[in-house]
Amino acid sequence: MAKRIGVDIGGTFTDLLFYDDKTNSYIVEKVPTVPDHPEQGCLNAVNLAVSEDLLQESEYFLHGTTVGINALLERKGAKVGLLATTGFRDILEIRRGDRAEMYNLIWTPPPPIVPRHLRLPVNERTMADGSIHLPINDDDVLEALKVFEEEGADSIAVTYLHSYVNPEHELRTETLLREAGFEGAISLSHKVSGEFREYERTTTTAVDAFVRKRMQNYMSQLESDLGDKGFKGHCLITRSGSGCMTFAEAEARPFETIMSGPVAGAEGAAELARALQLGDLITADVGGTSFDTCLIINGRPQLLYQGIVEGLPLQTPWVDVRSIGAGGGSIAHVDAGGLLRVGPQSAGSVPGPACYSRGGEEATVTDAAFYLGMLGEGELASNVKLDRTKAEAAIAKVAAQLGMSNENCARGIVRIACASMSETIREITIEQGNDPRNMSLLAFGGAGPLLASLMAEELDITNIIVPPYAGNFSAWGLLGADLLRATARSHILPVSKENIIKANSILDELFSELESRDNAYDANKWVKEIAIDMRYRGQEHSMTIQPDIKKGRISNSADELQQAFVDAYENSFGGSLETTTEIVSLRATLRQTLPARKYSRADYTDSNTEENKSLQAYSFHKNEWMEFKLYQRAALESSRTYEGPAIVSEQTTTIYIDSNDSFTSLDDGCLLINHSGGAN
Amino acid sequence: MDDKTNTEIYRAGKGSNTGIKDSDPVTTEIVRNALNSAANQMKRTLIRASFSPTVYEVLDFAVALYDKEIRLLSQAPSLPIFMATMSFCIEAAVEGVGGEENLEPGDVILYNLPYGTGSHAQDAAIVMPVFLDDGKTLIGYATNKAHWLDIGAKDPYCTDTTDVFQEGVVFPGVKLYSKGEKVRDIFRMIEANSRMPVGTLGDINAQIASIRVGAKELLRVVNRFGKDTFEYAVERMFDAGEAVIRKYFESIDDGRYIGKGIMDDNGVDTDLIEFDIIVEIDGSTVRMDYSTAPDAQRGPINCPLPSTVSASRVAVTMLAGAGEPPNEGHLRPVEVITRPGSMFHPLPPSPCFLYGWSAISAMEGIYEALAKAVPTDVPAGSAADICAVLVWGAKDNKYGEPWVGGSPFPMGQGGFAGGDGDTMIHVAEAAARFPPVEVWEALYPWRFEKFELIQDSAGAGQHRGGLGIDIVFEVFEDFSLISTVERTKVPGWAALGGKSGKTNGVTITYPDGKQKKIGKITNMQLPKGTKIAIHCGGGGGYGDPKKRNPELVERDLKEGYISRKFAEKNYAF
Repeated sequence: MAKRIGVDIGGTFTDLLFYDDKTNSYIVEKVPTVPDHPEQGCLNAVNLAVSEDLLQESEYFLHGTTVGINALLERKGAKVGLLATTGFRDILEIRRGDRAEMYNLIWTPPPPIVPRHLRLPVNERTMADGSIHLPINDDDVLEALKVFEEEGADSIAVTYLHSYVNPEHELRTETLLREAGFEGAISLSHKVSGEFREYERTTTTAVDAFVRKRMQNYMSQLESDLGDKGFKGHCLITRSGSGCMTFAEAEARPFETIMSGPVAGAEGAAELARALQLGDLITADVGGTSFDTCLIINGRPQLLYQGIVEGLPLQTPWVDVRSIGAGGGSIAHVDAGGLLRVGPQSAGSVPGPACYSRGGEEATVTDAAFYLGMLGEGELASNVKLDRTKAEAAIAKVAAQLGMSNENCARGIVRIACASMSETIREITIEQGNDPRNMSLLAFGGAGPLLASLMAEELDITNIIVPPYAGNFSAWGLLGADLLRATARSHILPVSKENIIKANSILDELFSELESRDNAYDANKWVKEIAIDMRYRGQEHSMTIQPDIKKGRISNSADELQQAFVDAYENSFGGSLETTTEIVSLRATLRQTLPARKYSRADYTDSNTEENKSLQAYSFHKNEWMEFKLYQRAALESSRTYEGPAIVSEQTTTIYIDSNDSFTSLDDGCLLINHSGGAN
Repeated sequence: MDDKTNTEIYRAGKGSNTGIKDSDPVTTEIVRNALNSAANQMKRTLIRASFSPTVYEVLDFAVALYDKEIRLLSQAPSLPIFMATMSFCIEAAVEGVGGEENLEPGDVILYNLPYGTGSHAQDAAIVMPVFLDDGKTLIGYATNKAHWLDIGAKDPYCTDTTDVFQEGVVFPGVKLYSKGEKVRDIFRMIEANSRMPVGTLGDINAQIASIRVGAKELLRVVNRFGKDTFEYAVERMFDAGEAVIRKYFESIDDGRYIGKGIMDDNGVDTDLIEFDIIVEIDGSTVRMDYSTAPDAQRGPINCPLPSTVSASRVAVTMLAGAGEPPNEGHLRPVEVITRPGSMFHPLPPSPCFLYGWSAISAMEGIYEALAKAVPTDVPAGSAADICAVLVWGAKDNKYGEPWVGGSPFPMGQGGFAGGDGDTMIHVAEAAARFPPVEVWEALYPWRFEKFELIQDSAGAGQHRGGLGIDIVFEVFEDFSLISTVERTKVPGWAALGGKSGKTNGVTITYPDGKQKKIGKITNMQLPKGTKIAIHCGGGGGYGDPKKRNPELVERDLKEGYISRKFAEKNYAF
């Protein structure tokens, strides 16, 4: 065990969670995010919550931040010069030709992150098999450098075709640029990604070059500020593809950290699933503006190997979190066709839901839930007392347009929000051959535990788990992240005995590259993991298979590997094909876990108070108003089974428990809801 | 061609504007969401299981759910020009197997007759009736239509057919599965008639996996709400969709607006083809009149009725549909007038392989007409093509089958009231992507030299058009070339005083350096070492170029989008 600090910077709030291994307790802090100086918001939280002594004893500082994504959003990053194979400098601008909003006649893509006058051609050409068709013309590189220097480019991205097979020309370019005295950052596409698809790899490389300096400045500033306060431990940052990496590694590969918020929650869910043997989970993370869901299978979040940010594809591991614009702040309105719609517009934190009395006048999911009694008496942690009159006035505006009663309208708003969340869960589970009915729903975020019972009803799920610190679960998740390093290489190999030997020698290269990245951390503790993208010959879509591993090498026979793929394929598509299979890409990961932490109930008080409080709330199960008992989560007796209906409050979230639910607070800190019935 | 005595009007399915308000707007919205989600699951399944890049990259398919009256419940974003043809496919497929009374649970029907699908024979519709658990009550259909690699036309792709029998093997509504049992003979026929049977059969399996997912989800939604509640909700959902489109057209002045369609030739003869589309806005109804179009052509640019209707519906819903996936209700305000026997309503055995290009020309014409009514909502014309070129080789490749490489490509889009046009694939194939060069080069014997924006290719305007691109590649073995490239003679239209962009084209450079320019051509035999250059044209400008912000002209110069000479000629510079 070890003392550790987790700080998650979100758009509105910066959340801190400190874990003290001696007392096995947590300190929670929430401060406003400082948009122009996010590190300042982070330090504010540390100053408020963690004493100097505790800070000095802490071994890890784990961080999730929106700095990288904001650099892209605001287009405030380095001035990047891009070198491309002659004839291909416009890849970044031509993209793949598609329209993100296909029903929008005048949709146009965001401008390319490197303007055309800074994208320059170099005569060189490598072929798909790695052979050199045209040797590199050194003068082209040097001429381009002159232009970059005149234009003040401080970062250079080098993106040649097929460099993932043979990086010779990109490496030569780096040498030439350095010899000519260029001192800025250089991003080589084959180091950023070992996979084919030139638009995606070029974009990823350009993003790397674009955000690197800003991320470096930010991380070194934060690390030195923490050091000044006496912190001597490791600084770690979350990866978009799960796990975390040292600041030093992140400075070299900043694009791997772009997506942080939803990932930390998924990471926490996976840790709980492993530690408490919760089986396969579906996460339901409902915040103010969005709903995020992710599957945890065999104790790991499901990964994709390409992400997308602001319309830019990133060729890097990516936790498969699906988001829709539905959350507590989502606004209800009547569309042009006279139907009730909820979201994607959100009241955000300013002005917020009408019942917050901060000037919001539009009905949100929170207003509807509060109106129906689902939020109990409406006393929130931050000393906000919700205003029922304001909620009702906002709902009445929508109800009048539909000719409905306020109550029916409020129920409709909640039902529609939950139905669209449930559809998202259905899509992510069923398309991968998983049946949601066999999984548990892990509900967190400010409004997740509020809506979980309704989602379970839609999805026929019987187990709902509300984790400890459900309202700050992203920060909680940060605290248990594994250290991860990952890389991949595209190399098409029909499955055969000889080609498994070949694949293993490629994996040796990948692992030795990973091991050489940063020596600052305990090199002996790395565990090697391998994943293989495979497909039927002739098919483009591949599926990722986890082979058996011995000493960092694939230990399966060709037949076993082929069978593993066929099994996975049948699971997804309900049938297989009579065609041979091939390896498309090899993926190598190094993992080491942080020291374990204990799981126990948060803020447990055995005060056993006020069990007789109750209020009238709407039961969606019974379709009527009922008496709901009110509880404080911290005051629930351990391991006792309570019957619904009930509203359970905790510091940063509220749990709505319907009449067909029972619930138990477990010693490991989770609250388990047993949901009976179900819609289907 | 003013003979309008023999015309037909096509309107959307039964039950227009029921006015049913019994269903509450909440259930309706939940049902609507669930149906859209089901269509998305169908789409993802098809993409993930498909074999050909035409399906998984170009998204040359549509997936949809229909109710038992064959009215569109939901569809996932895919190939727009397919999307509004699926009701025709279901009607024809069901008729093919002898009508509704001959449908059984577990049936899967294949249908690809062009006059019923709206497409060429390669675009095959698969239809699955969906029954309640009682096995008797029909509740709707899951369907998709996808472009097969090959089903035995005279060539893998054709620009010069003279009747439908040269265009591929036709399955006029036959059961692929009967009561859940695979009808192996049909699969054997497909295999025996395809130049690329492995990929084609792989894609059929993907199509079947997709409709099964859709059927299962449709049944789940109906069971979830109960049949009656579901049906009420669907009526209300249609009414709501209809109201969205009607509100848009009510706000526009009534009138008749004329747009022009232009095509290089019919693929067999060399004459320019020109036609008018008359768009009439009549209260909240929008009527597209194709009846003055020329008679059906000798070459394959005839556009069967379903695609004529689809082009009209797609053009309207993209403009007026509030950015959302349409259902049957959105289609109700659109009326289409055609003349049977004309190129927009061809009768058997007229050839129709290039129907899609006529549909694109029609969409350009519709937008040109609508721009006269609502200039602020409609962009100027694009380069009016998808610049698709296919090369194929019969030699053994690593898959033991002939190989075909080809794709639609981006070209300049028109400027619009809010800004410059961009470089994208035509709106008729709005979600399509072209495959990466690195993926292509790993598969086929060719090398790409260039994928670059063309300077001075965009139409000048206050808001200029999008730039065209040059694509150049060399093939390493003897090969056949098929070019479908259109609009090489007359550029797309410009708006409000803007100028047209550069036209499309293809240039062949033989190994000895000799060059030849071509337009549409089928199966041109070329020796290894030949280079093909595809010139994708530029988009039309919007507004007077002299009014263009000088800073933007400077920027275009700096980025190399335009030359100094072009700037001096066109802009206040």
